[in-house]
Amino acid sequence: MRFNSFKYLVGQGFRGIWFNRVNSFASLCVMTISLVMVGMSVLVSTNITKMIGSIERRNEVIVIIKDGAPINNVNDLGENLKNNENVFEVSFYSKDAAWEDMQKTMTEDEKSLFQYMSKNPLPDSYRVRVSDISILSQTVAQIEAMDSVDLVKAPNDFANLLINVRKICNLLFSVVTIALIVVCFVIISNTTRTSVYARRREINIMRYVGAKKTFIRIPFFVEGLVIGLISAVLAFGFTWFAYTEVFNTLSSSFNLWAIFGIATLIPFKDIALITALCYLGFGILISAIGSVISTRKHLNV
Amino acid sequence: MVELKNVSYTYPTGQHALDHVNLTINDGEFAFVVGTSGAGKSTLIKLLLRELTATEGEVRVNGYNLNKLKQRKIPDLRRTIGVVFQDFRLIPNLTVYDNVAFALRAIDAPTKYIRSRVPYVISLVGLAAKAKSYPDDLSGGEQQRVALARALVNDPQLIIADEPTGNVDPARSYEIVELLRGINACGTTVLMVTHQHDLVRYFGGRIININTGSVIFDEVIGGADEV
Repeated sequence: MRFNSFKYLVGQGFRGIWFNRVNSFASLCVMTISLVMVGMSVLVSTNITKMIGSIERRNEVIVIIKDGAPINNVNDLGENLKNNENVFEVSFYSKDAAWEDMQKTMTEDEKSLFQYMSKNPLPDSYRVRVSDISILSQTVAQIEAMDSVDLVKAPNDFANLLINVRKICNLLFSVVTIALIVVCFVIISNTTRTSVYARRREINIMRYVGAKKTFIRIPFFVEGLVIGLISAVLAFGFTWFAYTEVFNTLSSSFNLWAIFGIATLIPFKDIALITALCYLGFGILISAIGSVISTRKHLNV
Repeated sequence: MVELKNVSYTYPTGQHALDHVNLTINDGEFAFVVGTSGAGKSTLIKLLLRELTATEGEVRVNGYNLNKLKQRKIPDLRRTIGVVFQDFRLIPNLTVYDNVAFALRAIDAPTKYIRSRVPYVISLVGLAAKAKSYPDDLSGGEQQRVALARALVNDPQLIIADEPTGNVDPARSYEIVELLRGINACGTTVLMVTHQHDLVRYFGGRIININTGSVIFDEVIGGADEV
């Protein structure tokens, strides 16, 4: 295609936006809002997933070692635990340390009950943290099968609760995201369809004089693309502003979150690039597909 | 050249529009196609423009076998044909110049060529003084001249005029046909569909009469203008 023709067609795309300005503006607004909602939904989902992950990682599986197990076996068990794919942290908790810690929590009366005891009753153990709590029961089964393991204590109920919370969150955000993407797609298709309808005479003439389909589609593609791109830029701006506001408001309580082991919000600068790229990608993709599909049936002259 | 061999067309509704039509229009010919409403004239035009594909028989236009023509090759066929419609089909917000230039822009013609070709064709149809006017400022006859200029601008081998005088007052109708004959004299094949028998009788030439989907008359007659 000649550069002048391309320039002409791009110009026609902008002309289409201006001729359908009310419709274009309405599309721009709804598309921006939808993109913001998609973006926010993804950001909230990402943060919640991160928070749940941080809570998950604080959950310890206690691996109680058989009483009297030789030191070599205990060391081997430690190595085996570290080699497990779902284990990200292993620490040895000796019976002496356990006894010491236990005593710290006892009252003087309780301590007096144990003062004549000749032998530490607590076992040696490993404290294990898992990466993915959703496969906790499998990991526990693998640990139980290891040598020198007497007992494995895992917070199965809490794990199940977290798994369910995460599932519900993911499902909810996925449904919201898909619904909003469909809304964006319908809006762009509708804008293009209106524009195609307004210019059906031109399209008809173009077909009769031998214009190629691509040539006819370019102005509508440009129209959708421009709306998609402007919406993406506006959505990014809104998201930046809103997210930063939420971040600043909650930042004063981040220390408290840390005490409870909950991960803090992701700073916007860490996700700005990927957010911008996603908005632009969505804007371009939705507008491209929407405009191509809308023009298809009008091209069969 | 237009060639129809044993062509039939039946619409999906079951309506038979053309029934075993055999027709040849050689390069440089001028032919009138006449017939009553529903005779099959429009279907014939649609077949020639490859809007429809014959359900039976073979259609050839300007060297293209339309039965075997792929969808993506249809624009190539249409670039060899100029079409004039009864309702002009001009773009109201474009000037005469831009309406004509539009046909060249749509086929990705070079700007330099557009700048030289468009004024030439506009002057050919006698509208040089109105190149900057909008369609609504022109009479029916003038609008049809613009449509003719648009059909001519990419130098087609064949011009199909579908009732070009239908929306033009009688006096101007003769001018339109004269213009088409002038174009034909330069070597372009012209196929004009009309139901204005007075025009046909006046100009004469090859007359193809279609009735209920069949060619019932295909002969050359002398016109009153030759007397």
